Amino acid sequence: MAPRRGTTRRRFLKSTGLALAGLGLPRAIGAATADLKLKKPIKIGCQTILSGPLGGYGEFMRKGATLAMEEINAQGGIGGSPIEISFRDEELKVDVGVKNARYFVEDWGADFLIGIDSSAVALAVGEIMPSLNRILIVTHGATEKYNEDLVFKRHVRQCFRVCVPVYQDGIASALVAKDLPVKRWATISPDYEYGHTSWRMFRAYLKRFKPDVEFVGESFAKFGTVDFSSHISKVMGLSPEGIFSTEWGGEAVTMVKQAKLFKVFEQTKAFMIGMGAAMDVLQGLGADYPDGVWASGRYYFGYPDSAENKRFNEAFRKRWDTYPSYPSETAYTAVQALKKAVEKARSVETEKVIEALEGLELDRPAGKCVIRKEDHQAVYAVPWGQIRHDPKFPMPTLTNLKVFTTDEYYRKPPFAPVEG
Amino acid sequence: MRARLAAGAVLAVVVLLVPAIAGPFLRYLVLNMLLLALLALSFNLLFGMTGLLSFGQGAFYAGGAYSAALLLRAGVPLLWSILLGALAAAALAAVLGAFCVRHTRIYFSMLTLAFGMLVYAVVWKWTAVTGGDDGLIGIPRARIGLPGPLDFSLDSPARYYLFAAVLVLLSMAVLHRLSASPLGLALRAIRENAERAEFSGVPVRRTIYIAFVTAGLFAGLSGALLAPLEQTVSPSTAHWTKSAEPVMATLIGGPLSFLGPILGAVVYLGLKEIIVRFTEYWLLVFGLVLLAMVLVFRGGLVGAASRLRMPRRRT
Amino acid sequence: MLFQGLVGLSEAMYLWLVAAGLSLIFGVMRVLNFAHGSLYMLGAYFAWVAFRVSGSFWVALLVGPLVVAAVGWAMEFGFLRRVYSAPEAFQLLLTFAFVLILDDAVKLVFGPVYQSPPTPAALSGAVLIGHSVLPTYHLFILGVGALVGLGLWVFLEKTSFGLVIRATAADREMARALGVRASRLFTWVFILGAWLAGLGGALSMPVRAISPGMGELIIIEAFVVVVLGGLGSLRGAFVGSLLIGLLHAYGLLFMPVFELALGYMAMALVLIVRPWGLFGIREG
Repeated sequence: MAPRRGTTRRRFLKSTGLALAGLGLPRAIGAATADLKLKKPIKIGCQTILSGPLGGYGEFMRKGATLAMEEINAQGGIGGSPIEISFRDEELKVDVGVKNARYFVEDWGADFLIGIDSSAVALAVGEIMPSLNRILIVTHGATEKYNEDLVFKRHVRQCFRVCVPVYQDGIASALVAKDLPVKRWATISPDYEYGHTSWRMFRAYLKRFKPDVEFVGESFAKFGTVDFSSHISKVMGLSPEGIFSTEWGGEAVTMVKQAKLFKVFEQTKAFMIGMGAAMDVLQGLGADYPDGVWASGRYYFGYPDSAENKRFNEAFRKRWDTYPSYPSETAYTAVQALKKAVEKARSVETEKVIEALEGLELDRPAGKCVIRKEDHQAVYAVPWGQIRHDPKFPMPTLTNLKVFTTDEYYRKPPFAPVEG
Repeated sequence: MRARLAAGAVLAVVVLLVPAIAGPFLRYLVLNMLLLALLALSFNLLFGMTGLLSFGQGAFYAGGAYSAALLLRAGVPLLWSILLGALAAAALAAVLGAFCVRHTRIYFSMLTLAFGMLVYAVVWKWTAVTGGDDGLIGIPRARIGLPGPLDFSLDSPARYYLFAAVLVLLSMAVLHRLSASPLGLALRAIRENAERAEFSGVPVRRTIYIAFVTAGLFAGLSGALLAPLEQTVSPSTAHWTKSAEPVMATLIGGPLSFLGPILGAVVYLGLKEIIVRFTEYWLLVFGLVLLAMVLVFRGGLVGAASRLRMPRRRT
Repeated sequence: MLFQGLVGLSEAMYLWLVAAGLSLIFGVMRVLNFAHGSLYMLGAYFAWVAFRVSGSFWVALLVGPLVVAAVGWAMEFGFLRRVYSAPEAFQLLLTFAFVLILDDAVKLVFGPVYQSPPTPAALSGAVLIGHSVLPTYHLFILGVGALVGLGLWVFLEKTSFGLVIRATAADREMARALGVRASRLFTWVFILGAWLAGLGGALSMPVRAISPGMGELIIIEAFVVVVLGGLGSLRGAFVGSLLIGLLHAYGLLFMPVFELALGYMAMALVLIVRPWGLFGIREG
């Protein structure tokens, strides 16, 4: 975009007194003084869900990204350039997500995009990244189509992801389930891609590990379900021994509370919730979270027992007075990964930073991690564990952590279709 | 009449100049405003003239968007995909309208709401065709599909803007003509008094039906134009929250004038865009602005403006 | 099989409490209150605060809905009253503005994190019906729903104030001619409707996650219920709630693919056959 044109535009807006003044202004190109001679500031656009029943996720994500920004800026920024992050509400709507991405790049002047909670939004925004010519690092949306189809099969190179995809919910869960004394499984899961894919993967892999399991029934709940009673009674009518669920957020809280009322935990031998170790679910359920439930997430604050994780937890709690949830860690990591990649590339240019990000190794709070070159997926292990009430913590925590190597449960190129 | 023509000409010139003077985001935002304006005008064809409030325009918007998206992905040229998309939406309206026109007032609104959400449910669950909740992605913005030298590519966003803007402006002109046509007169007669209209020879239901299908056609056109713009279509296009947008735009702008819904669409999207830049609590601020508008400008912005103007004229 | 229906009925009770107020308000005031779901949300939040302060679920159940009734009074007296002369659609827009405002106000005050106090011990047991377990809380909610239905019936049929409400709902002009003071009536009806929604919210507090925006998740379903039953008819709202509850519960068993669509299918079918709903009054 030519600067000369920008000034005419500005004059036009001023003279016509359009109510939209301030839109469409050219982005400022900073003077180069620092050692890496990069533009100042380096701008990162972050979109996440900030309103409605799932707004808690965005809150945690913003806290993580903000902490990373403050830490980096306190140490002189990225190669001498401070970073600036702008947040916008994703509303879990595709059109809003696309608009946000366009605003960030074409108006605000973002150099990089991070965030996104909904898989559908991640796919849609990913789709326009080549035309925007910016890097997108997804920090929550978990569909395997993002890394397997968009990046690996269709070579949309601008797309990256630093949170573990549905492999955590669908495959690592099967590794846990194969050692449980349960033969009859049923599910109560969300009625959209994420819920269906996780259950399909869980069945396919568990059958492989333990051929004598049975899958006795399923009840898929629409997005925004406020009462799970009839889902629970339907599934319990099939007398399963174990229940697998990928409900999340407030819906997970409601489901567990009601399952407890229905005495599901007394009648079954195992209950697994893929997102059950997310901080909002732990805090939301509090004392009502039954002991022994198997839960996981995209990161659990108590794992690993590393110096970096300890430091992150302390810094996060000092800054925000709460324990970090997984979107906090993934957003934090996204910003840190950008710092590392930009300093390695000595540039903010999209193509150079893509090359720097490919194969990048990170020591993130969630552990050692490498960004796979083929599908731009960060590969790191997240544990499954069982809920317990430890008086040392203000919320339920995990015990009996099961950690698998990423080799065991990350799908690998060329991504053979999941049978079943 | 001459003033209206002048207003239309100014609107057209401003809209067509946007790519030359605005940055890519403003251009994108203006196109969004145009699409919402068209959707709101389609909604107001019924609401403004007969008082029938459709809470399901999203059904036709999505119908147009998904049809056009499927055609484009199948390699059909752009112009034909979009026109066929709009026609598909009109066909949907022809089917659903047959049930809706018997209803009055709130029951009409609720039946259209039900149909809208049924379309939403179909789109959500019929994964094989619609892509389910992920929607359809990778919609190409290819060649326009005109013969010979006119067959240019619309891949560039600026060109697509012009193409879409021209179609929207033409539609606006047609809709404006409609309001002054026998159909418009018949609709107004129905608003004043349906029984009297029936007695004086206006076939009430048939008139409403024609207006309903026409509204579906233009709502579908708006949706069809969205598909290549976003290059993605998702089920939220059919959700009631989408159907609420043309309602809000029309009420903000004022349902009693032709310009009302257009102005309302600009204010609705512009206001939201400005508010989200200042605060995360955009619902709160937007709600307060909406509240103030309802209390201060009853009848919408255009209605309020003409009320202000009236006394001056009289003196 | 029958058990599944019982569970569906218990789910329907929350819907009934919200729909009752919605229908009552529409019947008398001809205002479709979009913010009714938000009042349900406020009921849950206020009850939660009362629970935190008092430590008692029963106090929370008493105080929460009363505070919502007060909010309802402020809404009617401060705002709605000013737009009664405006077209219906603008009244709808006004209540929609309240949806947006209350959602963010709640987030501003309470934060976006889920609030969810434990289920009271006295109600967290269960009874065995055949081979199936029915939570005591679900029995309790069934009882409360029935009790509220009975109370409303007695109130409307047996008290003079109830008679005024019924008369106004049936014929506004006539009621005015007979000397009914509309403005005071409207205020009280709105307060009652708000209290009912607040009660629904307060009852949901210990068994459903409380969050900003939770009202939007139920308001459209409440619309479906009151329209299906016939706008303005309490009997319609009751039957409509039960119908939607049963439809959902059995729909999950027999045609789970249609979960999203069933309620709307029912509403569309009823409206096509009976354009004014099951128990509604035929309009003009």
